[in-house]
Amino acid sequence: MRRLRLKLALAATFLICGLQARAQNFDAAGSSEYLVKAGFIYNFAKLVEWPAASFTSSGQPIVIGVLGSDSFATTLERVVEGKKIELRPFSVKRLKSLKDPKDCACQMLFIAAAESTHAEEIIQLLRGASVLTIAETPGFSKQGGIINFVLEDSKVRFEVNVDAAKHAGLNISSRLLSLAKIVQTNMTVR
Amino acid sequence: MNLQNLSIKRKLTLMAMLTSSLALLLSSAGFLIYDLVSFRKLLSKDLTTQAEIVAYNSAAAMAFKDDASAKVTLSALTAKDDIVAAVLYTTDGRVFARYFRANNPAAALPDHLQEKGYRFAGNYIEVFSDVTLSGERLGTLFLQSDMQRWNARARQYAGILGIFVLISGGFAWFVSSKLQTLVSGPILHLEQTMRAVSVDRNYGVRAVKSSADEIGRLIDGFNTMLSEIQHRDKAVQRANEDLKTRTKELEREIIHRKRTQEELLRAKHAAEDASRAKSAFLANMSHELRTPLNAIIGYSEMLEEEMRDSGEAENIRDLQRIQAAGKHLLSLINDVLDLSKIEAGKMGINLETFDLQPIVEEIVTTLRPASEKNSNRVIVNLADDLGSMHADVTKVRQILFNLLSNACKFTDHGTITLDVVRQTRDKDWITFRVSDTGIGMTPEQQFKLFQDFAQADSSIVRKYGGTGLGLAISSRFAQMMQGYIRVESKLGEGSTFTVELPATVTAVTADVTPPPAPAPVRQERAETTAEVLEMNPNADTILVIDDDAAVRDLMTRFLGKLGFHAVAAENGEAGLRLARELRPRIITLDVVMPGLNGWDVLAELKNNPELASIPVIMVTIIDNEALGLDRGASNYLVKPIDRDRLALALDKYRTRPVELGAASN
Repeated sequence: MRRLRLKLALAATFLICGLQARAQNFDAAGSSEYLVKAGFIYNFAKLVEWPAASFTSSGQPIVIGVLGSDSFATTLERVVEGKKIELRPFSVKRLKSLKDPKDCACQMLFIAAAESTHAEEIIQLLRGASVLTIAETPGFSKQGGIINFVLEDSKVRFEVNVDAAKHAGLNISSRLLSLAKIVQTNMTVR
Repeated sequence: MNLQNLSIKRKLTLMAMLTSSLALLLSSAGFLIYDLVSFRKLLSKDLTTQAEIVAYNSAAAMAFKDDASAKVTLSALTAKDDIVAAVLYTTDGRVFARYFRANNPAAALPDHLQEKGYRFAGNYIEVFSDVTLSGERLGTLFLQSDMQRWNARARQYAGILGIFVLISGGFAWFVSSKLQTLVSGPILHLEQTMRAVSVDRNYGVRAVKSSADEIGRLIDGFNTMLSEIQHRDKAVQRANEDLKTRTKELEREIIHRKRTQEELLRAKHAAEDASRAKSAFLANMSHELRTPLNAIIGYSEMLEEEMRDSGEAENIRDLQRIQAAGKHLLSLINDVLDLSKIEAGKMGINLETFDLQPIVEEIVTTLRPASEKNSNRVIVNLADDLGSMHADVTKVRQILFNLLSNACKFTDHGTITLDVVRQTRDKDWITFRVSDTGIGMTPEQQFKLFQDFAQADSSIVRKYGGTGLGLAISSRFAQMMQGYIRVESKLGEGSTFTVELPATVTAVTADVTPPPAPAPVRQERAETTAEVLEMNPNADTILVIDDDAAVRDLMTRFLGKLGFHAVAAENGEAGLRLARELRPRIITLDVVMPGLNGWDVLAELKNNPELASIPVIMVTIIDNEALGLDRGASNYLVKPIDRDRLALALDKYRTRPVELGAASN
């Protein structure tokens, strides 16, 4: 429903702003929205602690898997390029699909809107794995995803499912939580 | 208020209080400044910390571009009163979020971002702090705080300090006013003691020493000084008392001496009275003695003449012996009389100017028989320039006569030399030097020579006669005329007597004897008898006034022989009457007479114009030539009458024989 409203709004904007604005809107991966989302993902890495078992060495990169949008992966690569968090560089991994948790082998996983239909499936698949799941699908957090981007007054905001994070063994900084909309896993949906 | 004039008490209290207060004030001020400075640092640190916290809390919001959250974070600063403004800037200098204190929305913001750190800008502290997330700088936080905490603290501390200084000042006042007695107490005590000493003059009090410090020593010194003063005071008092006692002793002594003096004075008066009585007695005696002697000498002379005329030569020698003895006795009496007069101070001097040469020659001539008696040669050397002398001629004559007759008396077959010279020293002096080659004198004899009644030896009196008064009288006479007599002599070789007299004797106060008190007036008028013994109408008439019948008898007989017509009156009244009746050529007048005495008669005569021109020759026992001459007497002869001198005196007034002859013709 939200998604629909967004699309309606986008359509209206398109109608008003003209062709270029419409082209930007549809080229999601390169738009400013995705640039912001890429920056947010980078900042999430700063405010989330992974269990020690997630890394084998101190210099091991933080691997960010991107499922369903290679263009966003590129944007993200540009954002995190050269950045380090406590000696750990970033590595962006493009994923076509996810059938086995071992396929992931990443600390963060962004599930693009194109793959939102597989979201619940992926959540189930990655249950117990210390992977910070990030999506842009409404209801993702309630389904058990950890962070979900939402748009509020055309500003990018996010929801956090603290329980899910705990289940994943991740410690999310309170500073991140103070900015987020806290969401519980919806059992009924599940 | 003059600090100098405050009492020591106040000064000490003030000093202690001011000192302690000042020290307290200074240290407190130092502490306050230190505290305020460190408080400022603390404030800035606080603010920095605050900024860091805010920056930390804002970091996520900035990272996720959540300006609303950032605003919420900033608005938490509302709790901090002193934070005026807080601003979050993005790295490119845009304002990301801001906060202003409610009551101060228009705080001045910095023009540009500055280095992280704090700085003071006016009344504000400003802090810039980086906002970082995991080491990545996301922006800058600006915090601005006012100094109200600092100001409040400064005010509060200043207030506390003021109160503290006041309280401690009061306390210091209290303590120092108690403690100052340690210093001021002894000083005040000393001062009170001093005042007590100076007011009461009580040097017995002592200041009590209560400490061994400088004041203690001062008190010791003061006490020592007091003891010294007390000691001296006592000494002075003792000296005063001593002085008083001595003064009393002296007073007693003086009283004693005064008493003695009075006694002495009384004794002196008594002695003088006695002496006067003696002199009067002597004078009277002399008078009484001379009166009969007059008769003896006068009648023996007359008898001798008559016997010589009648050729009864056998008794002449006896008569001459009587005469000689009488004359010796007379000279003794005269000397005694002179001396008693001198002693009684009744010997006056009668100054007149006379030529020396005739006087000297007259004396030498008079003495010729005496010098021939012992076969002595007399040499007289008179200086050419002798001239005249102003002195008492009678006394000069008497002195020379005495010295020459002595020389004749004590020289046998020798030479007697008289030198008379005039010398000019301080003034003109006449020097008479009488030298003889006689028996001379020992020094002891010379020493006694001029003393009354002291002849060299009593044996001398027996051998050579004389009274031994001659030199004493001569010496007195010389002294009366401001001169002196000195003697040089050698036993067995002779003596030299030198008389020095001023050529001009100045009159000293002549002691003029007042006329003797008139004898008791006889009520019955004396029978006046004019005895005309020998009448010679051609001769000059001489009126003889004398109460002594023997004198009247002798005088008239003697005058008759001299060729005068003598009329005698037995008292003053008769004398005056006869003088008026007879208008005599000359009057001889006795002084001591019953009724009118000689002086009265003289005065009457001189007051009567008709009689005033008649020369009056005083012939009297009273030896006061000066008075007589002063009262108008022409001549003055002292009884017993020396016939030669009477003749000499009368000769002046005798009518010249030529005139007589003319008159008789």
